[in-house]
Amino acid sequence: MVTPIYIVATALGVGFAIGVLNKLGRNFTGGLVLTAIAFMTFISFQWFAGFYSGNQLPEYIFTAGFQPPLSINLLMGPFEAFFSLMVNAIGLVGGIYMFNSLKERGSNAQVVYLILLMGLNVMIMTRDIFNLFVFMEIASISIAGLILLESGTRSMGAGFKYILATSVISSFLLIGVIFAYYFVGSLNIDDLITSNLHLVKGGSIAIFLIMMAVILELKPFPANGWGLDVYEGSDAGLSAVISGASASASLYVLYKLMAIAGPEWNYYISLLGAITFVGSNLLGIKQENTRRMLGYSSIGQLGLLTLIIGFKDILGENTIYIAFGILISHYLAKAGLFWLSGIIKSKGLKGWSVVRKHPFFLFLMGTFVFALIGFPPFPSFFAKWTLVMDLTATGNIAWVVAILFGSMMEAVYLFRWLGYAIKAENDHIEPVKIEWSKIIPVWIAALSLYGIGYYTAQLSEIGSGINFIPFLFVAVLLALDFLPIFIKNTLAIAGMAYYFYTVYPSLDNLRLIFEVIFMVGGILALIAGYAYKGTRSGFYPVAILMYAGLTGIIEANTTLEFFYGWELMTAGSYFLIIRGKRSMPHGLSYMLFSIGGAYALLAAFGMAQVSQISSDLDIINHITYLPQWAYGLLIAGFLTKTASVGLHIWLPGAHGEAESDVSPMVSAILLKAGVFGLVLALIGMGAADNQFSGLAYTLGWVGAITALVGNLMAVFQEDAKRLLAYSSIGQLGYIVFALAIMTHLGWLTAFTYSINHFMYKAILFLTIGAVVLRVGTHDMYKMGGLISRMPFAFIAVLIGIIALSGVPPLSGFAGKWLFYNAVLDKGWYFQGIIVFFAGGIAFLYLWRLIHTIFLGQLKDNHRNVKDISIWFAIPIYILIMGIMVFSVKPEWVLQPLGEILAPYFPNGQVNWVAGSASTALGYWSGTKVFITVVGVFAIAFAFLAISTRKAHKLKQFDIVFSGERPDRPETTHIAWNVFAGFYKAVWPATIPLVEKFWDKVTEMLHDTAGFTRRIYSGNGQAYMLHLVLFVLVTYLVIIGG
Amino acid sequence: MNIYVKIAYTFLGLMIVLNWGMLMRVTFRKIGARMAGRHGVPFRQPWIDLIKNIAVRTTLTHGVMFYLGPVFRFSGAVGLFLFMPILFGKEAWMNFSFEGDLVLILYFQLFGMLGMALGAGEGGQPHSAIGISRGLAQHAAVELPMTMGIIALAIQYQTLSISEIVAAQQGGFLHWSFFTNPVASAAIMLSALGAFGYSPFNLVKAPNEIPIGPPTEYHGTYLGVLMTSGNILGVMETILFMNLVFGGATNWFELIIKSFLIYFYAVFVGMVFPRFRIEQSVAWFFKIPLLLGFIAILMYSF
Repeated sequence: MVTPIYIVATALGVGFAIGVLNKLGRNFTGGLVLTAIAFMTFISFQWFAGFYSGNQLPEYIFTAGFQPPLSINLLMGPFEAFFSLMVNAIGLVGGIYMFNSLKERGSNAQVVYLILLMGLNVMIMTRDIFNLFVFMEIASISIAGLILLESGTRSMGAGFKYILATSVISSFLLIGVIFAYYFVGSLNIDDLITSNLHLVKGGSIAIFLIMMAVILELKPFPANGWGLDVYEGSDAGLSAVISGASASASLYVLYKLMAIAGPEWNYYISLLGAITFVGSNLLGIKQENTRRMLGYSSIGQLGLLTLIIGFKDILGENTIYIAFGILISHYLAKAGLFWLSGIIKSKGLKGWSVVRKHPFFLFLMGTFVFALIGFPPFPSFFAKWTLVMDLTATGNIAWVVAILFGSMMEAVYLFRWLGYAIKAENDHIEPVKIEWSKIIPVWIAALSLYGIGYYTAQLSEIGSGINFIPFLFVAVLLALDFLPIFIKNTLAIAGMAYYFYTVYPSLDNLRLIFEVIFMVGGILALIAGYAYKGTRSGFYPVAILMYAGLTGIIEANTTLEFFYGWELMTAGSYFLIIRGKRSMPHGLSYMLFSIGGAYALLAAFGMAQVSQISSDLDIINHITYLPQWAYGLLIAGFLTKTASVGLHIWLPGAHGEAESDVSPMVSAILLKAGVFGLVLALIGMGAADNQFSGLAYTLGWVGAITALVGNLMAVFQEDAKRLLAYSSIGQLGYIVFALAIMTHLGWLTAFTYSINHFMYKAILFLTIGAVVLRVGTHDMYKMGGLISRMPFAFIAVLIGIIALSGVPPLSGFAGKWLFYNAVLDKGWYFQGIIVFFAGGIAFLYLWRLIHTIFLGQLKDNHRNVKDISIWFAIPIYILIMGIMVFSVKPEWVLQPLGEILAPYFPNGQVNWVAGSASTALGYWSGTKVFITVVGVFAIAFAFLAISTRKAHKLKQFDIVFSGERPDRPETTHIAWNVFAGFYKAVWPATIPLVEKFWDKVTEMLHDTAGFTRRIYSGNGQAYMLHLVLFVLVTYLVIIGG
Repeated sequence: MNIYVKIAYTFLGLMIVLNWGMLMRVTFRKIGARMAGRHGVPFRQPWIDLIKNIAVRTTLTHGVMFYLGPVFRFSGAVGLFLFMPILFGKEAWMNFSFEGDLVLILYFQLFGMLGMALGAGEGGQPHSAIGISRGLAQHAAVELPMTMGIIALAIQYQTLSISEIVAAQQGGFLHWSFFTNPVASAAIMLSALGAFGYSPFNLVKAPNEIPIGPPTEYHGTYLGVLMTSGNILGVMETILFMNLVFGGATNWFELIIKSFLIYFYAVFVGMVFPRFRIEQSVAWFFKIPLLLGFIAILMYSF
């Protein structure tokens, strides 16, 4: 084991040596510095590995041959080893990144960089408070020096401010140290701890000054302008080191000195942390400069960490796990982002759209952003989960709210930024020049995040149960992203099919229903993907990511697994949604609502875990701690996904602007995740318990109003896909309403609607999407008469809208019939009437959809469009078959559904006798009705077919309109030829005589010119002839004959 | 009852309803004409029209959906007949009402309407689209108070079965919903004006002035099928209201009297009041009828 004093010795030695060796060139000195840092890293790693394996005991290192307090001593314990490793590792990787920029600034800069790292190492290890002061000064001056060594006035200003600020901070520390020495007589930190300085009269002022200094070092909000300028003004590589190494070291110093301050400081430290976390992230929203925004984020993250260590006595042994997860995510992600910002060079957020011009840059950036926000599989996800669980369990709800609010704010600006990167226009931006030394550190940071994330999950008992196989499949697809669509699509379908095959036997029936919707529906939607050409870069990883999340929530046994799946699904669907052409704002609003919903779930799971030792998903069935709030939060969280009114604004744009085969994925399939969540939450609330009936009652109204608002808005859309999107809001309102009824019939209605909505909405979105691919517009008024060009599409939409409207004999009627029975049975008449009225309104938009697209006048530019792609038609017609089976034999679906629901709601089931359903109120025989209607229809059809068999087929314009014969589609518009009658009276006066005259003149001129220019034949002999003739004619004119 | 006998009775019933519908309509045409000081068409006119239309040799078509429109309409009308119990207590005239209840009837009404809307749409005549959009808008407004009234009756009788609703009204006219639940009945009967589509709610078809709307697109056999459907639907609407509000009928004579009077009520209002514009008619249903429907439901909510 190499003693840690060599960290200091190496840095100093190499630093002095460079003063002599700088004649050998900057490359040499740079290499020497890197070697030194590598050796320092090795020392830290060796110690860290020793502690990790459990064979190593902490060691004190004494200097100058005396025992403390006479001399300075250092400590190498597990924390010191870890933080020193963090500092040195980022120093090493960052050193590679900054190799060229340090080289440009000269060997002095290289030395200062090395000294900075040494200063940070000693800050971490020292047990002497004056020594701490000295090395904090060394670190600050090194940073300022590095900034000032850069060229540019901005960095000059930033460096100057930095020096001023750190001097003030140092003064506080120094005075505090003097006071402490006065009272205790020792500068040794361990002596200060054992002296109970905080109990000594006057000691508290010493503590106050010391704590203020170390807290200020962490750049607390709002006293942190100087720190922000540094982030903005300095070299990107240096920002990464400040954010990763300097801030981490300062955080550990705070942790170390908290032992002196005593437990009464914990609360204030947490409070300052919370204020910083919320305040910084709030201000981050307004930032337009990338680096400054990242600075705000860094400071915010440090605030969160400060909050966490303030809670160390409450969080107990989990403190380390939590702090580790947040810190390491922040450390890697922020360093990665700062490094990226140095490559991208764009100051503004929108300029980041250039990342799309480089392979995998978006992947890197996305990785860092998702890691910062705390998405799985990154360490911050598991840490935040544990943090919220533990804080809730100890009743610290207000702190949880602050943390989630701050995180939400951070998500706002980070996802807006990511949205720009994914969608903002980048035609005019030149690709950047990439140096290998700069991109490799970014990759190291990104890959470490995944590796450490997996490791973090394994560290906790609950996290180790997570199934990472679907996620691995996503990684495989990402690696194969260069392959053509056909291969990737087949692979994706095969993967999903195989996974479904392996997983379905383990599921109970309730879950199986949703798994079928997710996986079989997913496969059907993927089939349509064959219609696309090229590689469709980035599509398959994110689509499978969403499905991995969806199956994750179905398979979840614990609350963490559920939340893990939920977040994967959110991430995947976000990327799917934002792929649409004009989806940038919709992707952002989807993400923000999703994160808000996810945080509501997180808080609710935390409450559920209170007073229950287990973390099984079943705990939501027995919530005892603030149960009304917990269930309310669960429901609210799930309602963001079902897009219930108030939480629905993300949906129309997100679904409307998505790609043709993505719309059915995020509409017919994804929304059911919210339904599944509601089902779990409502089962948890229990049917028999009346304690929560108020909550269910409210939910019922929310559902009813959602149904009305969604359908009403759908009526007034000009865009076909937005119409369907609003329709989804309405349909999900029905489902939420029916679930809230909390009776057997209510739930049967909800499940019937869920299954039906999956089928007909998938049919409608797929068909309309396929039509859009052919005609190139979503706007219905730009289409018309497509029935003659796209009969298959028309039939699909016709069946889809009949099923949706609930008109017998198709399956939609099953839902309507159950709905009436459920409403009358429950007695929710008014809500029922609202939902019913919503159903009536649905006719308006359904007719509009089919009429404006397929009927009426065919537009001229669509005269040669083909029918929808066969790859879309296949899933569409499979789904139509599904609807037909459900329509002909509703009992095949409804009877098993009833049996599945019977354990939860045993009373008031539907009676089935030979395919006829009956309840206490009514009765219905689906099969017989189907046969009767089809029979009558067939007879009428046959009669009319025979009697009009010789009917003459009219052409498009064989109509008379306003007494005129239209001849083009626009001539059927009311504004066309609006004064036709008047024209017929006055037409002789309108003949353009003058125009005709000038036309004639022009024509003659042209003819003459045309004739004349024939003399310029291009033939040399002819031109010679011209010359001769010219001379001749001139002679004849002038001289005369 | 043997299924063949059942079908025979049902077919006979359908013929009765069809012919009664034609006779009833021509009667009102004559009444209307006499009020306007004209002589009016002869009573045999509907039969002549029907035969003439079916016999027309030249037929034109705009396409498949154009052609399916009348088929949908006809199936809707006949289906409505099939699912409706015609005469209370007479097994032979219950048709196929055992296949579904009031909810089926309410939703099946839309079957014909939907097909009709699509069929006319394929003609490409812009006026069709205008007519349909008006029709759908008005229908949505009519449906709300009507369904509130109907639900109030369903709550009152605790059933969705039409036969049981009729059964509950037997034993004298004071047992009719009209008297036992006047508010709900009023809501239903005021909305019924919209369902019959006479003035003031006939802008959808606007028969007299401009040739707007779906029927003008059709001719020949198509028109014949549409007229047949219309006549059946007219009677079936009256039978629905008769069953819900006026105690149903136990024999054909009672049915004819009641349905005539219910139809007369709609025509009478139509003769007296001028036509509404579409926004006026929608607003009208959202005032008094909706209020009545609201009160009708409110009475059962506490």
